[in-house]
Amino acid sequence: MSKTIVTLVGKDHVGIIAAVCNFFADNNINILDIKQTTVGDYINMMMIVDTDKYEKTFAELTEGLRTVGEKVGCLIQAQHEDIFNMMHRI
Amino acid sequence: MVDFEEVFETNSMIKDESLDVRTITMGISLMDCCDPDLDRLCEKIYRKITEKAKNLVSVGDEIGLEYGIPITNKRVSVTPISVVGACACRTPEDFVRIAKALDKAAEHVGINFIGGYSALVQKGMTDADRLLIRSIPEALSSTGRVCGSVSVGSTRTGINMDAVRIMGDIIRETAELTKDEDSIGCAKLVVFCNPPDDNPFMAGAFHGVTEPETVINVGVSGPGVVKTSVSKVKGESFEVLCETIKKTAFKVTRAGQLVAKEASARLGVPFGIVDLSLAPTPEIGDSIADIIEEMGIERTGAPGTTAALAILNDQVKKGGVMASSYVGGLSGAFIPVSEDSSMVRAAECGALCIEKLEAMTCVCSVGLDMVAIPGDTSAETIAGIIADEMAIGMVNQKTTACRLIPVIGKRPGDHAEFGGLLGSAPIMPVSRFGCGGFVNRGGRIPAPIHSFKN
Repeated sequence: MSKTIVTLVGKDHVGIIAAVCNFFADNNINILDIKQTTVGDYINMMMIVDTDKYEKTFAELTEGLRTVGEKVGCLIQAQHEDIFNMMHRI
Repeated sequence: MVDFEEVFETNSMIKDESLDVRTITMGISLMDCCDPDLDRLCEKIYRKITEKAKNLVSVGDEIGLEYGIPITNKRVSVTPISVVGACACRTPEDFVRIAKALDKAAEHVGINFIGGYSALVQKGMTDADRLLIRSIPEALSSTGRVCGSVSVGSTRTGINMDAVRIMGDIIRETAELTKDEDSIGCAKLVVFCNPPDDNPFMAGAFHGVTEPETVINVGVSGPGVVKTSVSKVKGESFEVLCETIKKTAFKVTRAGQLVAKEASARLGVPFGIVDLSLAPTPEIGDSIADIIEEMGIERTGAPGTTAALAILNDQVKKGGVMASSYVGGLSGAFIPVSEDSSMVRAAECGALCIEKLEAMTCVCSVGLDMVAIPGDTSAETIAGIIADEMAIGMVNQKTTACRLIPVIGKRPGDHAEFGGLLGSAPIMPVSRFGCGGFVNRGGRIPAPIHSFKN
């Protein structure tokens, strides 16, 4: 399974998670885990998603998320999970 | 499963503390390009580099995007050109033509530096070595991307003082030919003792003759990350300080190991080494001097600086060694002056002088790096500074180097601007007392007694 970590930061309002989830549903990406916190007016979210059935390139995924981010006024970033596993696990 | 805190920590390192992978460097052997016809030799060199490295930049960018970590530089190192050009070059101008072929190839593959315009003369010079060294001023002033290095000493062989003396002249000539740009040609020229064959960092990278056909070497960085972790243990004991640096270095190096393995797999080129270095940039917060000052030194250069740097260098190695399957290159903390804004500040306020820098090179990764000196510094004095630095490397069985820039027309109190990652530097005063009677003796300094280990 190819796991991607998606992080989102920005000013909180109604519909942010919905917009991101719709993007994943439209692109055949399965959400495995989701965590979020809000501090003051700001939202900080992390998702672990399965991109095995996603048919486009990673560059297209990041571009698609950037577009969603622009619409909801948040910064959204996708990274392959290996960078976190390598840096924090022996 | 990946933890939220780990994701946050990694991304803070990247966004707020300038964590990056400093370079993916592809080493390419040019041994099979040797040809007695100079035109054919240049053509073969150009073809081989542009073929082998054609995907280097795109693959580097792709990996950077997927892992969300910047890969600042993609570069190429080649077999020392004095060896490759020996069968075709009869004049220094012939070697300059090879430099231009390297420059053209580097431009074609989209990289900003290519290393290996080099000669290894620690024991003696062949005719080709001598010609290449003579060609360096013209080669580095008539190209933009080519980097050169000359190894003039080693623990095993001693120091070739003839070559040291010649390099005094070569550095001055290179400075003169590039005086309109603050003698920037010298920023692309390194004089080495004990150089490694697999160094991925410019300007001293070359692909040693013991290396495979092609190889991927990766240089990691992350001074900002180390500084932030050191700031969290203010006032704690040395044990806590050392453990903190070690753990941080481990994480930074793991990112480099991942990138190295991926680059190797995607390019179909064997993985060589990860170079565990802390390399600063002129950007605020990406500084080695900041780490030293965070440890409790008021300004870099003050008493305690050498000990602080020794701790940093050693802990970076200890943390990094376990994080990578193969470690090599220079591996340690770099202390270039112009490329580190806080080193510049320390030199400007009088805390850091060239003699203190020399002491620091005993315990750092390399040596006197990107040091701007007065434009009227004599070739003999430059040779004397090089000889001192080479002696430190020879006796201590470590790599040392000089990247000195006599900035023509400038004096102490003036500033030199090199631009980009090379930064800017104050002109540092050098001793006004001479050493001509010493460096002009000729011959070699014998290998030190502790080199005889067999």
